[in-house]
Order: sequence, then structure tokens, then C-alpha cells
Amino acid sequence: MQMTNKPLAIALLLVTSCALAQSPGKKAPSVTMAPVEPVTVTRGKGGAVSLHFRVASGFHINSNTPKSEFLIPTALKMDAPTDIVLTKLTYPQGAEMSFPFAPNEPLSVYSGDFTVSMTVRPLHTVQPGKYAIHGDLKYQACDNAACYPPKHLPVDFEVKVLKGATPAGKNPAQSPHAHR
Amino acid sequence: MKRNPAALFFVAAVVAAMLFVGFHAARRAGGDASADSLDVAGKPAPDFTLQSLDGKNIQLSSYKGQAVLLNFWATWCGPCKIEMPWFVELQKEYGPQGLQIVGVAMDDASKEEITKFVKEMGVNYTILLGKEAVGQEYGGVNVLPTTFFIDRDGKIVAREFGLQSRSLFVDNIKKALSQGHAVQAQK
Repeated sequence: MQMTNKPLAIALLLVTSCALAQSPGKKAPSVTMAPVEPVTVTRGKGGAVSLHFRVASGFHINSNTPKSEFLIPTALKMDAPTDIVLTKLTYPQGAEMSFPFAPNEPLSVYSGDFTVSMTVRPLHTVQPGKYAIHGDLKYQACDNAACYPPKHLPVDFEVKVLKGATPAGKNPAQSPHAHR
Repeated sequence: MKRNPAALFFVAAVVAAMLFVGFHAARRAGGDASADSLDVAGKPAPDFTLQSLDGKNIQLSSYKGQAVLLNFWATWCGPCKIEMPWFVELQKEYGPQGLQIVGVAMDDASKEEITKFVKEMGVNYTILLGKEAVGQEYGGVNVLPTTFFIDRDGKIVAREFGLQSRSLFVDNIKKALSQGHAVQAQK
């Protein structure tokens, strides 16, 4: 294919996939998560983790703070070992968007890419090693003409805990959780 | 001959936009919608019994002799909210001719929350609390709203996925009212 035809092909591909996505029931909505590099954290200290999600083209999901009590917020629920603390779970602000089904009531939504961040802090008691952190992202998607039942996206990443300075006069206990 | 990539991109975008608009215009005109309905048209609507918001058990087949607009919806579904005022009007307009609109809430919300929502929307037609099993009988109901139009004999006349035009609903209601035998509903 000649270089000059590439933009044409890309444009057609984009709009065709968009049109398919907008036809209710013809394409299932999806949210995917980019692979996360293992997070290396020294015990007793915090490390930042960013989870990058992508909403399929043509769909949107509610933000974490939708504008109506009846809307289902996007929410990340993590299940970490008790001595690895997850804090500062931060959702991006939703984009205020109007849709053909409610032109006068802008909704707070995520579409395209969005990032949820948090801080991982292994307690001093954690044995150095690798730990798997699991969770799920609950979301409910719509397109311009229809909505789809809530879904759960499994979320996994790995935390590598390094040995930090042992607090004076303390004997670190064993973590109750087995290594992966 | 040299081609300007920006101009090509513009032409491609315009052509694609025209295709997109044409596609949706065809849907609005009912072309695609009738294709959606082809696989269920003429089949008997699966019977079910579900609880209404006032605690009564309602059986779909008890509406035999009436045309039924069966609408699967949820409180979290924006497009469903657009249809509800239409259904209120259509129930008033076509109810005397034998139409019964039945909304099935496919919701995790409590009965109280659904009642509150329905009250806010001024709904004047029957709302039932949905069950997954009933949704499965109707093909899974993975898209909301999904609406079935059932004739007086209990046969499916049409099915629509997603928000459609009010005129398409009116056409399907008229079709449902004109088919089957009108009998006094036993309720």
C-alpha cells in the first residue's frame, strides 16, 4: 500500500469500528487493562501504582462519581494481603459528556483511556518477596442508544517487597500470607 | 501524480461520516430493526410470572386478547429513561384499544429504589421485578432497553434493541394491536 493511502485506510477503519460499536447489540462493550510492571516497594514505605484502563471505542462507562444515584459508578475493589496496605485509591474526574439519549443532562463518564492510581505500602512485618494483588473493576457501559449490564474486570498486579531497615528493637514477624 | 495526504484523509472522513449517517438513517427508518425482529417474529412470547411493585404476581399470558409492549429496562439505563415518558403517553393513547405496556426491571436495585424511580418518572403502566431466568427466556437481554411487541394471541410481532424512534414504537404497537383475536382479558 502506498504511503498516501494509509490515512484513508486508518480513517475508514476507525469510523467503521465506531459505527459497529454504535449499533446496539452488535458489539459487546469491554474495558481492558494494560499489563502492569511488577511494583518494587521497600517494606515500611509506600510505592505508587497506576492502573491504565481502556474503554472500547463507541462506549462509555460511568465515572466513580456519576451524577445520579441510580447510575452505577465505576469502582475498583482490591483484595490485598492484610499486611500490604493499599491507600489513596484515586479515580480520575469523569468527563462531562452529553449523549443523544439525554442531550440536556450531561453525564460524568470515562471513555477511551483512564487511569486509577493507588499507593502500596507493605508493613514492616512483611517478608521480602513477591506478592500477587488481586481485585476487580466494576463498570457499567453504554453506547449512544443502549446500556449493558454491569461487568467485572479482573485486576491483577505484582508487588515485589524489598527488605528495608528493621526498626530498632523489633523482630519482624512472618507474614501470614504465602508467597506466590 | 502526487496526492496530498491531508486531502485524502478529509475525503475519507467525509465518506465515512456519510456512511455512518446513512447507516443510522436506515436504522431509524426501521430497515435494520425489522432484520433484528426476523428471528423472533411469529414465535409465541415465553410466558412468565413476575411480581409487580405492589406485590401481585402477574402472568404474561393473563394479557391474552390484548397487545403487549414488553420492555426490559433498568434504573441505571439512560436510554431507557427516554422511552418511559413515551410509554406513558402510548399507554394513555392505545390502552383503550387494548394495549398493555409492561416494564420488566432488570435491576439489582431494591424494590424500594425501583418504586422511587418509577414514581419520579410518572409511570402509569405495569412494572414487574425482573429475574435473570425470564431474561434468558427472551434471548438473554444483554442490551437495555430491549422491547418486544406481542400481539393479542401472545405471538411476538417485533423486537427492538436499544433506543429507537417513537414512530417505530407506534408502528409496532399498531401491528401488535391489529394481529390476533381481541378477547376480554381475564384478570
